[in-house]
Amino acid sequence: MLAKLKAVTFEVLETMYYLFPETLEEGEVVPARGPFLRSWVNIVGPQSFRIGLLVPQSLARKMAANFLGTNEEELSQPELEDILKETANMMAGAFLSKMDASGAFKLQTPEAQWLAAEEKGKRNPANRIRFEVDEELMELFVEKG
Amino acid sequence: MAYNVLIVDDSATMRALIRKVLVISGFDIGEYFEGANGREALGVLEHNWVDIILSDVHMPEMDGAALVRSLKEHEMWRHIPVVLITTESRPEVINPFLNLGVHDYIQKPFRPETIKKKLTGILGEAIAPDASETESCDF
Repeated sequence: MLAKLKAVTFEVLETMYYLFPETLEEGEVVPARGPFLRSWVNIVGPQSFRIGLLVPQSLARKMAANFLGTNEEELSQPELEDILKETANMMAGAFLSKMDASGAFKLQTPEAQWLAAEEKGKRNPANRIRFEVDEELMELFVEKG
Repeated sequence: MAYNVLIVDDSATMRALIRKVLVISGFDIGEYFEGANGREALGVLEHNWVDIILSDVHMPEMDGAALVRSLKEHEMWRHIPVVLITTESRPEVINPFLNLGVHDYIQKPFRPETIKKKLTGILGEAIAPDASETESCDF
């Protein structure tokens, strides 16, 4: 499951953002300063779960600027939220397609939330993949819904 | 030849992105219109000629399926090609739309060349003269 999610992350970041992630091994550290933006999509079906990502604001800005072809300074917080929500949506959709999941699985509307550095928390390594993206940290997670 | 394009998506960011990708792809855009849902799209069509519609699936007020149904019931709009822009390619999601008369779909993430190839192909088919009519012309 995580391997497919990883493949989807590469596909989405490379195609839509012209960013090339590298997977981080457990214990590898990339300095990351908050605030952080977390976005996710709930997937409802025979097993309900949520797929999401967490990035520092600085990376969210780079992603949004690449996505829209604008300057980082011109982007508002709602635009960053929109981009991250769309990213989570694309990852979840592509993931379901790759998994050949049945039509019983439905994507819900993506959501986003700002987190201070101390709220970021730590996830079980079994449920997350960490990437270095343009010298910044990106964390992808899967949680039971 | 420039084509009038209508993009329907509840995310303004996504509409901006699709427009940007169309420009990057070199697709020849005439007039550009947009709507945040099916209802707004129908409002645009009331006053403007559109050659192709790119639509999201899930939207508030009037979603992609309801939009396509309305188009198919309208004498003037039923032949406008509709292409879905979707995060999913599962048959259970796509087939109902194809059965409704949607021309094709583009799965996100997409590349500019993919979108151009698809749209050019569809519009090429839409404007190609009927072969039987061409043969019957006697000059």
